[in-house]
Amino acid sequence: MKLVNFKFRHKLNTIIGGDAHNFCYQCGACVGDCPAALYSPAFNPRNILLEALLGDEESLVGPDSVIWDCTNCNTCYERCPQAVRPVEVIIALKNISFEKGTNPPGVKSILDSVKESGRTVKPSSLSDRRRKELGLKEISIVPLEELKKLLE
Amino acid sequence: MKYAPFFGCMISVKYPQMEASVRKTMANLGVELVDLEGFSCCPDPIYFKAADKLTWMTLAARNICIAEEAGLDLVTMCSGCTATLSEANFHLKHDPELKEKVNQRLKKIGKEYKGNVSVRHIVTVLRDDLGIEKVKSSVKKPLNLKVAIHYGCHLLKPSEIMRVDDPDHPTILERLFEVAGAETIKHEKQVLCCGKACTHEEIPEKMTYDVLSSIKKSGADFMGLICPTCFDEFDLGQINLSRKFSVDLKVPIIYYFQFLGLSQGLSTEDVGLHLHKTKADEMLKKIS
Repeated sequence: MKLVNFKFRHKLNTIIGGDAHNFCYQCGACVGDCPAALYSPAFNPRNILLEALLGDEESLVGPDSVIWDCTNCNTCYERCPQAVRPVEVIIALKNISFEKGTNPPGVKSILDSVKESGRTVKPSSLSDRRRKELGLKEISIVPLEELKKLLE
Repeated sequence: MKYAPFFGCMISVKYPQMEASVRKTMANLGVELVDLEGFSCCPDPIYFKAADKLTWMTLAARNICIAEEAGLDLVTMCSGCTATLSEANFHLKHDPELKEKVNQRLKKIGKEYKGNVSVRHIVTVLRDDLGIEKVKSSVKKPLNLKVAIHYGCHLLKPSEIMRVDDPDHPTILERLFEVAGAETIKHEKQVLCCGKACTHEEIPEKMTYDVLSSIKKSGADFMGLICPTCFDEFDLGQINLSRKFSVDLKVPIIYYFQFLGLSQGLSTEDVGLHLHKTKADEMLKKIS
């Protein structure tokens, strides 16, 4: 018999939006209109919440976890009668995955881009030229020193 | 009427035609956009937030602080920026403990989040501050075209935070396209997600395929939207998908303010339609 991993649940509780997983009563309202569940049979927010209640660390935040199939559409946030905000629990799980280094590479590259340029999309000579042609001012400068202090 | 615009990364860098059309149409409506210095990425509500929610919220709070210092409400034109800044503003206003934690971090750069400005998506400024009639009065040339609207997710949801419209039966974009002359066509996948935020490749591909097919079936002249990320998925996406599946999914994708601009008498170059991957030539022939 599998035992509940309370240590993992406590960890989840410390992340913004993670503590609401405790209120899930497994009604499944989050599944009905979930587009990711419709398009990916492996993805089921109710199952993810059940695994969170069991503290199934390996399945939830291991490599290739199904949590990354979430499209972040917020429909489950609308539907949940318990204010669990499943999407926010899933993002909290993603934060743990990032800490463990089991996240998809895209996450790190966006973070690096913001660290380096203050933006997710870096300005280029092409973007500068397009802005000029459209009569727009030069793109504003991001105070990177300030950002660095917050990203340390 | 004065606001601090927050254009974000996708619009300023990748799709400046959206910024140009917002600036030109808002000037025609007599709205003053006061550019503030020092904004960074909102930051991105998908990947950045997936890495570390607290840092995500701290950087969002820093951006909001800049608007607070100027005493102006923030106006966003990108659904991603809207999501990040509205969510951060909502949680920081409602959770004193979280606010304290974020302010401890902001101290390092001499800033403090106070919670005294609002974050608004620009379409709500049109509907609620200016009023639909005022928008209509700026239209010189109503464009008699059929539009299939794609709402995208983050303009509407979570509705307790966004407070824009009914998340299941929204009307705001219909009303705005209609005052510029368009006929709105309902289509099957009106509120389906574009899938862009999913890291798995196959899921967004299928969703995009279904939304585009639904629009093709509707007989619309173009797809109308307000989100640069959805635009990213549909404009280039339809070319890739048409090739991959040997089907014709091509339909012009137009950002609302480009359409409003055309109806106000701006040229296609003014609003940057020529920069889109999918050309709007056939649609433009109908209104020339």
